[in-house]
Amino acid sequence: MRTTETNSISDRGVEMSAGQASPATAAGGATASTTATSVAPRDVGDTKRRGTRLWVMAWRNLWRNRRRTLLTLSSIVFGVFLAIIATAMQDQNWADMIDLAARLGGGHVSVQHPEYVDHPTITRTVSADERMLSVLEGDPEVKAVMPRVLGQVMLATAGESAGAGVIAYDPALESTETLSALEAIADGEPLEDSPDGGILLGARIVSKLGLDLGDRVIYTLTDTHGEIVSGLARLKGIVETGSAAADSGLALLPIDALREVVDLGPTEVTQLAVFLQDQRRTDPAAERIAGELDQEGSEAAALAWYASRPELAGFIAMKVGGARFMEILIAILVAAGIFNTLFVSVMERMREFGILSAIGWSPGKLFGLVMLESFWMALLGLIGAAVVTAGPYFYLANTGIDVAAIIGSQMDIAGVGMPSVLKVGIFFENLVIIVVFAVLATLLSGIYPAWRAGRVEPVETLKIV
Amino acid sequence: MSQPIVQLDGVTKVYRQGSIDVHALRGVDLEIAKGEFTAICGPSGSGKTTTLNLIGALDSPTSGTVRLENEDLGALSRKELSEIRRDRIGFVFQAYNLVPVLTAYENAEMVLWVQGAPPEDRQRKVMELLEDVGLSGLEDRKPSELSGGQQQRVAIARAIASDPAVVLADEPTANVDSETADTLLDLMERLNKNRGVTFVFSTHDPKVMDRARRIVRMVDGSISDDTVKDAVT
Ligand SMILES: Nc1ncnc2c1ncn2[C@@H]1O[C@H](COP(=O)(O)OP(=O)(O)OP(=O)(O)O)[C@@H](O)[C@H]1O
Ligand SMILES: [Mg+2]
Repeated sequence: MRTTETNSISDRGVEMSAGQASPATAAGGATASTTATSVAPRDVGDTKRRGTRLWVMAWRNLWRNRRRTLLTLSSIVFGVFLAIIATAMQDQNWADMIDLAARLGGGHVSVQHPEYVDHPTITRTVSADERMLSVLEGDPEVKAVMPRVLGQVMLATAGESAGAGVIAYDPALESTETLSALEAIADGEPLEDSPDGGILLGARIVSKLGLDLGDRVIYTLTDTHGEIVSGLARLKGIVETGSAAADSGLALLPIDALREVVDLGPTEVTQLAVFLQDQRRTDPAAERIAGELDQEGSEAAALAWYASRPELAGFIAMKVGGARFMEILIAILVAAGIFNTLFVSVMERMREFGILSAIGWSPGKLFGLVMLESFWMALLGLIGAAVVTAGPYFYLANTGIDVAAIIGSQMDIAGVGMPSVLKVGIFFENLVIIVVFAVLATLLSGIYPAWRAGRVEPVETLKIV
Repeated sequence: MSQPIVQLDGVTKVYRQGSIDVHALRGVDLEIAKGEFTAICGPSGSGKTTTLNLIGALDSPTSGTVRLENEDLGALSRKELSEIRRDRIGFVFQAYNLVPVLTAYENAEMVLWVQGAPPEDRQRKVMELLEDVGLSGLEDRKPSELSGGQQQRVAIARAIASDPAVVLADEPTANVDSETADTLLDLMERLNKNRGVTFVFSTHDPKVMDRARRIVRMVDGSISDDTVKDAVT
């Protein structure tokens, strides 16, 4: 009833809608439901209307050119995807390298005598007693604690001699998990858990000394009283890492055997190699352990892995810089795409902005409208990126890709096999950085188009019809 | 005669186009009073749009003064001019007046919304206006779903929603057929009579200018003739 009234009031003005309304009117007795679907009559103040909202307007503007918006969104999605996966690969790579460094050296965190860093002598020890171990193993981050005695030895056979750095470890505790040299045993076997457990030597030392497996070698060093002392061991295995430094200068002994020779107590060590659940948290863990030791009244110092391996720390810092550079590059490329979209869409709408400005929109409101459009773009882009990235990321993080199977050979660094399955694992901070970058890139690229919209000259743009 | 709403005194407008000066207006004196239904006509390039832009605080004169309700627009900042346009002037343009992504209702409430009127007030006013301009039931249509005439009705509703001092319409019927033009003028006439809305519109269509009660003729940037017809229809 209301509908027919409406039609008759406005029928002179309702030229085009007459076509849409006519089926109902032509049918004569149109049912209420058919008319309601085409032209719903509404009483004034009947339903509460929300009215115009700027963010809704911006949202709708985004979809005026659906194809263009989708294209831009896919560039954001792809850019973020690429940045996350690439960063996650690098992060995992560094993590592996740090673990490797820890296995090559003194763990993620080394607990040792405070003077040991500057004066590494066998007299500067800490006691790996129950109290110390309970402090360290009580830390939630700590995976394992390995007692070690480090020193310099002179190796001699009947005719030859050679110097070497010795790592004395507990064969009952350690494996390739904590001591990478054990992975590089080319010939022979790991040490046995007995005072007569044997010795492992670098391949070059072995050939220099002309030794065969089972041959006896004398090692000489200074004991805790400053006396020159010697021990005797049989060659149990040959370590061939491929690294000249290790192969020509590494010796491994059972810790108890060496303790006896240099007269160290059964709990005394020069180093406790602490391994963490997550090497990325080395810094806070080192600090926390230091604090805990301090509270216990212990003199021992806790050093992060890089304090003892500055060259590796430098290398990793360089790679981090490289990743930053790549993130910035991706951000710029994505920003250029968003900028183009927003700029073109603003330029196309200058007449519209001119009308809005004419009827009283402030430059700030016009600016805000376009900024909201880029905000929507950022939000949608991030949601899209999360959806697209999640699947591949978790697959790569949990299952990984077996690179060895693809390449057909195993990669190794310094003779120590790198994991052959490529896995990813992004540092949380880097994820935050990527997300922040993506949002910033989107918002920043909206600023100039938004500013242009706000600066519209109605008189000029209204001439364009 | 009541107090004039619009006063133009010795207004000139010169556009520089490269090295030559284009004299769009050459000394225009014009007064518009409340309740007028006035047409500005003249050939293309005679200065109609320029005059309306000056009255509408969209542009400033090269010399002379433009007053709106006794206020000299030349003394105002950009921001103040923007507020004047928002609060005291209604605009209807030739075509594509509306924001395509907004519904008829949202377009019609645009000025009230920008003014910050509460939603309930906006709704009451706008629903009543849309009914008055014959668009009941079409509130939720986008401009693309409306005919040219319906779009102009929405634009008129938007222009009068905030009760402006004057509604300026630059060739409001130029883009619709003559029948639709007629109904739009019917509507404007009715709003002028019933609501006392002051209309100033430009046209070069003789049939349209005949509907005006006052006809201001322009030739080459000057007013050549100013006729007030008898208020008989
Ligand atoms: N921005 C500008 N730059 C240079 N000249 C301009 C500009 N705007 C208007 N003009 C000139 O000023 C004169 C008056 O223009 P105006 O637009 O006011 O005419 P009009 O009467 O509205 O014409 P029409 O009927 O074609 O719309 C014309 O000669 C026009 O070319
Ligand atoms: Mg014009």
